[in-house]
Amino acid sequence: MGPDISHHPLQGADGSVTFSSNLCSILAAANGPVEVQRRDELPEEAAVEVNIRPPSGVSGPRERWLESVVAAVLRSVLHLHMHPRTLVQITLQITKAPSSTLKGAIRDVALLPSLINASFLALLDGGLPLRSTVAAVFLAVVGMGEVREDPSEKELAGCKSVHGLAYNNHGDLLLSESSGSFDLAEWENIADQAEETCRAAMAPLDEDGVVMKGTMSSGPWLRQELTDKAQAAVAWREAT
Amino acid sequence: MANGTAKPPGLAFSRETFAKLTPGPFLQAHLQQPEPIRPNGRSLDAFRTPTIHTGSLSHSNGSAVVRLGDTAIVCGVRAEILLASDIPHPPGEDTSEDDLVERLGLLVPNVELSTGCSPGHLPGNPPSTVAQALSYRILSLLHTSNLINADDLRILYTEPASEDDLPDEGSKVVTKAFWALYIDVLCIALDGNPFDAAWAAVISALKSTQLPKAWWDPDREMILCSPLATETHGLRLDDIPVASTFAVFSTGSALKQRSEAESWVLADPDGFEEDVCSETVTAVARSDDGGVGSITRLEKSGGGAIGKAAMGRCVHMAQQRWREWQGVLHGG
Repeated sequence: MGPDISHHPLQGADGSVTFSSNLCSILAAANGPVEVQRRDELPEEAAVEVNIRPPSGVSGPRERWLESVVAAVLRSVLHLHMHPRTLVQITLQITKAPSSTLKGAIRDVALLPSLINASFLALLDGGLPLRSTVAAVFLAVVGMGEVREDPSEKELAGCKSVHGLAYNNHGDLLLSESSGSFDLAEWENIADQAEETCRAAMAPLDEDGVVMKGTMSSGPWLRQELTDKAQAAVAWREAT
Repeated sequence: MANGTAKPPGLAFSRETFAKLTPGPFLQAHLQQPEPIRPNGRSLDAFRTPTIHTGSLSHSNGSAVVRLGDTAIVCGVRAEILLASDIPHPPGEDTSEDDLVERLGLLVPNVELSTGCSPGHLPGNPPSTVAQALSYRILSLLHTSNLINADDLRILYTEPASEDDLPDEGSKVVTKAFWALYIDVLCIALDGNPFDAAWAAVISALKSTQLPKAWWDPDREMILCSPLATETHGLRLDDIPVASTFAVFSTGSALKQRSEAESWVLADPDGFEEDVCSETVTAVARSDDGGVGSITRLEKSGGGAIGKAAMGRCVHMAQQRWREWQGVLHGG
């Protein structure tokens, strides 16, 4: 049922989360708003800095590129104008990456949705003001044009194309990263499926916490997380 | 005015001052006209016309200069020999031809923006995040598109049959070395859209690349190269992908109602437009056999103004652009 999430593993950071999906695990920490270096300071909004650390070795051009993509998505999720002349810092430590036998582009696209989900949950844990809820999903076209959600490494080895997409709760497409060989009709089909999956992740629950609509395999994991978080936050009130 | 009769000077800005002070509203004023014209005089979906010169660097194996409006990019390809015996963990026999180039790292692109090409990139600084991200995107696209055939980069040697071999076995062909291509991209002037221009420079330089004839000399146990220009061979690049970048200008903000937001897609943004737009789309189109254009890469991030329909329009424009580029690439 969805990815494996544990909240606030780090004591020092404002918000942190460990996020494990089928292919990768990420430890995310969010700090903000904190003091910003003079050269990064923006007069009207908060600066966003994303640092990505690979599972081994030092970060390089690949991490710089991933950082710029994740930062671009987070800028459209955060309420940056609320804290001008400050910095929101997100550090993402990849603890498990997709197997290195896969092609580089497949590994990059496979990683991005998890990076987005992990950083969103870390920002939420840190209590930063957010404009919208965002969910990201990883899809691959395997075999004879079959679309697989969160595929295994075995399926990825022979896939035609891979797609990482993120939607917010208004149904806006915030990220689309596709690689491989595909055409427009295929991409549109994938975008529809991704939107449905993202909506299902945020779908409302009924009183018993059962899924109301959407019968996707992963269920409303994001909604469940948000509900649990809200319940934990008001637990003190019920206890007294 | 002492006597109060002279009219006070009106508070009107020149066009340049307006653009400098409030770039966002300046661009919006242009786009909100009934016939939207961008400040640079182009229509929304007009790309800049590319000009390509190849083979201008005499000391590299292949080179190209690509101009896209005021963006000018030089690319040089240098080939170096990688001995098969120097590869620490040679990939197994089961590695496919397509993966070999990536596994061995035979293509090494590097984008340099710290040349004084624009005020945003200080000369002499270490590679900025933008430059590193560009290098990586080019490397990734070279690998996903399988543009370079590993066979073109092999240096083969036919081993003579020795006495202890079975007589019915033919002579064995072994790969003694590989050509590694160092692709250096220098941006000499930057006015927006570095990726499209850099990618065009890389493919034109690779198209013009000539590798010398090289063979394994068993006596000296080293690779020898022929100095003759007539004995060189080029790289087979049959299906060349073309990158098209779009910027999205949106008036939406967190302080406004969602329904009030308007957005425009600008093809091939220049430096001014890039500074104002946060959302970008890059589509890499390939051959359109059978009318269905194939896409190799589709990237979009930075905002939510572009939906499925607008992405479709971007892809169509990218495929149109692919057809235009074929003439330029094959002509030049």
